[in-house]
Amino acid sequence: MDDYLVSVVSNIGIISFVALSAYLLLLTGEISFGQQAFFAIGAYAAGIATAMWGWPLPLAIAWGAAAGAACAVTLGIPTLRLRGLQFAIATLAFAEMVRILFELWRYQIDIDGEPVGPNGTDGFRNIRYVFDHNIEAFDFMMLIYAVLAVTLGSFMLLERSRLGVIFRMIGEDATLASLQGIAVARYKVFAAGIAGALAAVGGGLYAHLTTYVEPRTFDVMLGVHSLAYGLIGGLGTALGPLLGVVIDVGLLESVRLFAGYRMIIFGGLVALLLIVRPRGLLDERLVHGIGRLFRNAKSGTTRTGRGPP
Amino acid sequence: MLDVSDLVTTYGKIEALRGVSLHVEGGKITCLLGPNGAGKTTLMMTIAGILRPRRGSIKLEGTELVGLSPAKIVSRGVALVPENRLVFPEMSVRENLLAGAYQRRDKSGIAADMERMYARFPRLKERREQLAGTLSGGEQQMLAVARALMSRPRVLLMDEPSLGLAPLVVAEIFDIVAALNRDGTTILLVEQNAHMALKVAHQFFLMEQGRVTFQGTPGQLAEDEVIQRAYLGTRRVAG
Amino acid sequence: MRTIVCTLVAIAALLAGYPQAAHGQVRAKAAVTCVSAGQVLEYDCTIKLANARSGEPLSGLTVSVGADMPSMPGMHNVRRVKATEQAEKGAYHVRLELEMHGDWAVHIDLRGAVRDRVVAMLRFEEAEVTDVKPSPSRRGH
Repeated sequence: MDDYLVSVVSNIGIISFVALSAYLLLLTGEISFGQQAFFAIGAYAAGIATAMWGWPLPLAIAWGAAAGAACAVTLGIPTLRLRGLQFAIATLAFAEMVRILFELWRYQIDIDGEPVGPNGTDGFRNIRYVFDHNIEAFDFMMLIYAVLAVTLGSFMLLERSRLGVIFRMIGEDATLASLQGIAVARYKVFAAGIAGALAAVGGGLYAHLTTYVEPRTFDVMLGVHSLAYGLIGGLGTALGPLLGVVIDVGLLESVRLFAGYRMIIFGGLVALLLIVRPRGLLDERLVHGIGRLFRNAKSGTTRTGRGPP
Repeated sequence: MLDVSDLVTTYGKIEALRGVSLHVEGGKITCLLGPNGAGKTTLMMTIAGILRPRRGSIKLEGTELVGLSPAKIVSRGVALVPENRLVFPEMSVRENLLAGAYQRRDKSGIAADMERMYARFPRLKERREQLAGTLSGGEQQMLAVARALMSRPRVLLMDEPSLGLAPLVVAEIFDIVAALNRDGTTILLVEQNAHMALKVAHQFFLMEQGRVTFQGTPGQLAEDEVIQRAYLGTRRVAG
Repeated sequence: MRTIVCTLVAIAALLAGYPQAAHGQVRAKAAVTCVSAGQVLEYDCTIKLANARSGEPLSGLTVSVGADMPSMPGMHNVRRVKATEQAEKGAYHVRLELEMHGDWAVHIDLRGAVRDRVVAMLRFEEAEVTDVKPSPSRRGH
């Protein structure tokens, strides 16, 4: 694989984490414009852990994820009582608050005669773990995809599990879900926590991939995109948001057919899909239909396998 | 079985319920009639715990329900089939039924109840893998009732089950209500269709403007008057 | 809950297999100057690489240069280009083709005797290219 491909594929993998994070909240019926805040928290937390405290990368990523989850739960407890638009605005406000806090925050220590650490608007440079450990770009890409594969696998399990069904019930109709005896608020906070952790894992990997982050990286742009990925790709399966990322980062960007018009094409695509397929390309109906076809095919073969009755 | 006394529920400053008291007898069908805006749906939502009353009490066989979360109220044995939001449209019929059994842990019992529901509602069985949103209005209503029964409620609350359905389907729904009751389910039914409701009810309450204005058994009041008041309220008759 | 714990454990296990640090590596620093190459969004850049500690020029390295926009993480993938070594010790030349004007993080990846990445923040405009000088008053873009 050439360098360019490796970098595109790595980016797709990392953005997928934020997309999955927004998707999980969409599943429970909440729109968040603020998942970039947890991406930021994960990036800074993991970066600080490796570059300043000398932690190994796995521990640093896990710590970033924990920090992201803790912040998301803390934010979720008061805000998830809000409905719809109010929640969306609260998440947006929170994310901007986090970004500005990172602009003001300075925490540097001296390593090998150089100051290392978050330095306000100048960002946090020299997160050099990958270079210090001679990890090749290709290997780091494989690492991203290993983590993504595990995450995706867990999503697949989740969607078949009781918890997944509960999330969907809440997303479709929270009142009706509570009438079935589901403690809606508790599950929403739980979903927000996992979503925060997911975005933070993406952030941790991102910081180590690029070796630097700065508050601007965690602009609302990222949050809006990650939300759009689920809406484009579809809410019927966790593969939906990934499809969204591949369409945007992989296709529109890399094919470069549209060059400077990419954002216009992307915005138009979102608007068009919201009209034509409000729940995305891979929506519940399509996924359900495919699942049924598959089941029918399977039961068909077992029936013939048994022979005549 | 279910005792509501002096219940006051408000939306901001507007009192939707202004001191409602009523009694639902075990094993009977109790019907709640009244014009739009009388507070019937508010009453149902308050009993189910979705809305919090400002005052008053709701007792199920002597246990207070006010202040409990909707989840707790379901576990005490109250199930509501809400008006207009019947099913989870993007989930299959089977998943909708399982949703009703959310609080139960007895797998074999749930499976047996599923079969019972399929036996009672054969059309749901035919369509069990179909998404609930693709069912007809009557089928969705049946699914909503079946789902509520999956929680094995002691009291089944039904909010306007005939809303928006064709007359033939309405008759079918009322047959189901009567049959459920014959099997021992206590039912509190909110209806606009007074004519049908009076046929199945053992006792009924008339609600107008947040208050109970009449209670009795069908036949105690001329059907014409009930219908008049159920659709239009007394104010309208007077003025 | 169990699923999440398993996920975290699996992630940790996967990551734990990674190599340990090689210490005492040479760190590089870079001075980057760019000028418009005539075409819109094309820039000629001269990169002067030096040992961050001793200031000694670093020559004979394989240098490739990429760029992304900090305000849109991972969404602009500028194709990495190889830089050509100049006669002057530690100087390399590269032509960058960007997608839009604005602030870019230029990644300079070094291979050979030194393996490192140096990041330079530059503001590319139609007429000129300036260093992004962070100041406390700078907000957003």
